[in-house]
Amino acid sequence: MKPLIRFLNNMDTKIKKGPFKIIHPMFGAINTMLFTPGHATSKGPHIRDSIDMKRFMGIVIFALVPSILVGSYNVGYQAGVEGIFAAFMFGFLKLLPILVVTYAVGLGWEMIFGYLRGHDIHEGFLVTGILLPLTLPPTIPLWQVAVAVSFATVIGKEVFGGTGMNLLNPALTARAFLFFTYPGDISGDRVWVALDGFTGATPLAAAAAAQGSAVEALNAAGFTLDRLFFGFVSGSIGETSAIAILIGAAILLITGVGSWRIMLATTLGAYGMALLIQFLGADATGMRTLPAHYHLVMGGFMFGMVFMATDPVTAAGTNAGKWVYGLLIGFMVILIRTFNPAYPEGMMLAILFANVFSPLIDHFVVKANIKRRLNYGK
Amino acid sequence: MGVFNLKKGYDIALQGRAERRREKALKTTAIAVQPKDFRGLRPRVEVTAGDTVQRGSVLFVDKQRPEIVFRSPAAGTVRGIDRGERRAILRVVVDTTADSAEKFENYSSTQVSTLSHEDAKKLLLTSGLWPALRQRPFDRMANPDANPKSIFISAVDSAPLQAETDFLLEGREQDFQLGVDLLSKLTDGSINLSLSAKTESFFMGIQGVEKHRFDGPHPAGNVGIQIHHVDRIVSGDVVWYISPRHVAQIGSFLSKGEYPGAKTYALTGSGLEDHHYVVGTEGALVSDLVSQTIPVKEKRVISGHVLTGTKTAADLYVGFYDDMITVIPEVEGRRFMAWVSPGFNANTFWRVFLSKLIPGKQFAPTTDMNGEERAFVSSGEYEKVLPMDVLPVHLCKAILVEDIELMEQLGIYEVSPEDVALCSYICPSKIEFGDIIQKGIVTMEKEG
Repeated sequence: MKPLIRFLNNMDTKIKKGPFKIIHPMFGAINTMLFTPGHATSKGPHIRDSIDMKRFMGIVIFALVPSILVGSYNVGYQAGVEGIFAAFMFGFLKLLPILVVTYAVGLGWEMIFGYLRGHDIHEGFLVTGILLPLTLPPTIPLWQVAVAVSFATVIGKEVFGGTGMNLLNPALTARAFLFFTYPGDISGDRVWVALDGFTGATPLAAAAAAQGSAVEALNAAGFTLDRLFFGFVSGSIGETSAIAILIGAAILLITGVGSWRIMLATTLGAYGMALLIQFLGADATGMRTLPAHYHLVMGGFMFGMVFMATDPVTAAGTNAGKWVYGLLIGFMVILIRTFNPAYPEGMMLAILFANVFSPLIDHFVVKANIKRRLNYGK
Repeated sequence: MGVFNLKKGYDIALQGRAERRREKALKTTAIAVQPKDFRGLRPRVEVTAGDTVQRGSVLFVDKQRPEIVFRSPAAGTVRGIDRGERRAILRVVVDTTADSAEKFENYSSTQVSTLSHEDAKKLLLTSGLWPALRQRPFDRMANPDANPKSIFISAVDSAPLQAETDFLLEGREQDFQLGVDLLSKLTDGSINLSLSAKTESFFMGIQGVEKHRFDGPHPAGNVGIQIHHVDRIVSGDVVWYISPRHVAQIGSFLSKGEYPGAKTYALTGSGLEDHHYVVGTEGALVSDLVSQTIPVKEKRVISGHVLTGTKTAADLYVGFYDDMITVIPEVEGRRFMAWVSPGFNANTFWRVFLSKLIPGKQFAPTTDMNGEERAFVSSGEYEKVLPMDVLPVHLCKAILVEDIELMEQLGIYEVSPEDVALCSYICPSKIEFGDIIQKGIVTMEKEG
């Protein structure tokens, strides 16, 4: 190891001073990923926790592995590929180019901004770069991915000051960009199955289109509750399997990297709102007849709740705020799903909406703290 | 008696706690009194190299308030004055010789009880132990002209490997009581003595104090936390605090009429082979107390504990407020892909390494930063290690944007860098909360 470390240290100085110093942020990131920086504390605390941003983000990526595996398999399965491994490979080869384009374009931008700001590429993009492909249909044109990632990285994140300063979740910003600029390639019936000319609605679209009971329409289309739970239905690559996402959620909750408050509040908000709508709409049709527990396993709800809503940068930062933020997402997602005729999915917009409000939510929590503090003296 | 069970906080399980065994210092060759131990102090040195001093002779005084004097804890010859950047005085060093002490009047407890407020203040200023009194807000040496609403003494040992107060002060009940008697003359408010829930030592019999029980992980032993729970500071308030050892030193000064130079230290940390208590001199040279040789590049010597202690070295000295020396290994160099390692030996507050599954494991961490500085990302964890109704991240952000009103509203008067040391410890973004709080304190001092 010693000669390798010496080599990396030499390279580091050479690149920093050489003509290719623009790649230094990238080299620095790889360098410190291979070996810890090895810096010593200069003052108290003289010892530091073993966690760093790499470990923190690494845990999130680890938690995404089940969704990547099941999602890839499901892409193959939906396209009618026989055999578990063959289906997985089929799907994985659909996912891989999207993943490569996302990372290449995103890290390229991060490198440029890292160079301008004089720091290494930050770890946040490692997660964004996996999250985005998992929220896309397998048929998404790669050039669109490149454009969306550029938009989300530059306009959505870097203009605010980079990782930690952004207002909106970068992966969802990219997805929203695609949704509003090229809706034909990310919604509707034709994009979910990775075979040319094949059409098939997502469960949410089927439920929304139902003339009578949504559950009957779902069952008729083959979307039974257990299939929805295990994820063998059409949808974005990583969002379909509730069980795979729940394994990821368990990892985030056990390690404490994901906020249980946000996950619980989002679930409660959505469940409560769905119950309310079902209760009020006794003579309704379509989505309004859908039982509350169906909402939790359909569409992007679970994936958004576990991996997007819990993004610590864009979520509310105070503990009380996290409850309000989660409830708001849950409320909004059901509201959009049931009352918006144009689009049956609401999770992306609900989270982005709550992202915008999270500074305001925190503001009120801070104000409450200040008020409490003022009352000490009295 | 108030009982406070604090849930928030964190105890870092470290190897190298001192055994309750007292040994005499190997030798006493030199001592130093270091102006840098007293934040913001501008000293006026009263001795020059070659001067002979007694135990209790004045070495320097506070330039702004010359009534605050700093006395030599040992007799000897002044070796010189060490200076640092921009000729700032780092320390006055004395090569010790045979003991001889400057004589002061001595006081019995009845005499102390008849002292007026002014006389008590004068007496403490004369003793050279005034600097042991510190104040909140702003965590600095107490101003003799201030009128504190209360005085706090914390005998709760919660910091990592902290010296055990009841062992340090074993057999010094009368000194401690006499010290408390004098302190009670300095405030119209109460003297608050915080004890841990399990303490059964002589502190229970001390008169003239309000006793509080604090239970819970570090920083439950910090006075800042205790003040927050017992007698909160709001704008305009001043609270003083002093360590139990210094209270006993005051008592000793009063009863004997001499400056008490002896001090017991705990020798702790995984970098040392033998962990015990050693009786030496205040401001001792580290190598007078530690028999083991300590290679500078391999080990770090800390005056105090790992969270807030200051870096020193075998050939340097222990700080005025510190009664322990911690020695830990220096960073070993770059480690291969630590971010994906299982981490059986990784010290962590988070549940992200497998070491969390080994119950009762004690760690021997190095001085490795374990990462690089990043933007604030994590949220909600810092509050878990700060048992106060204070939002640490929001307070820090207010300080960084220099919003004085907001800093005040969010509690700048209540915190000191030591209270947020655990926030820095657990931070995945490696943010120095202590530095930010210090910056806030300096900003407030300039304003007010």
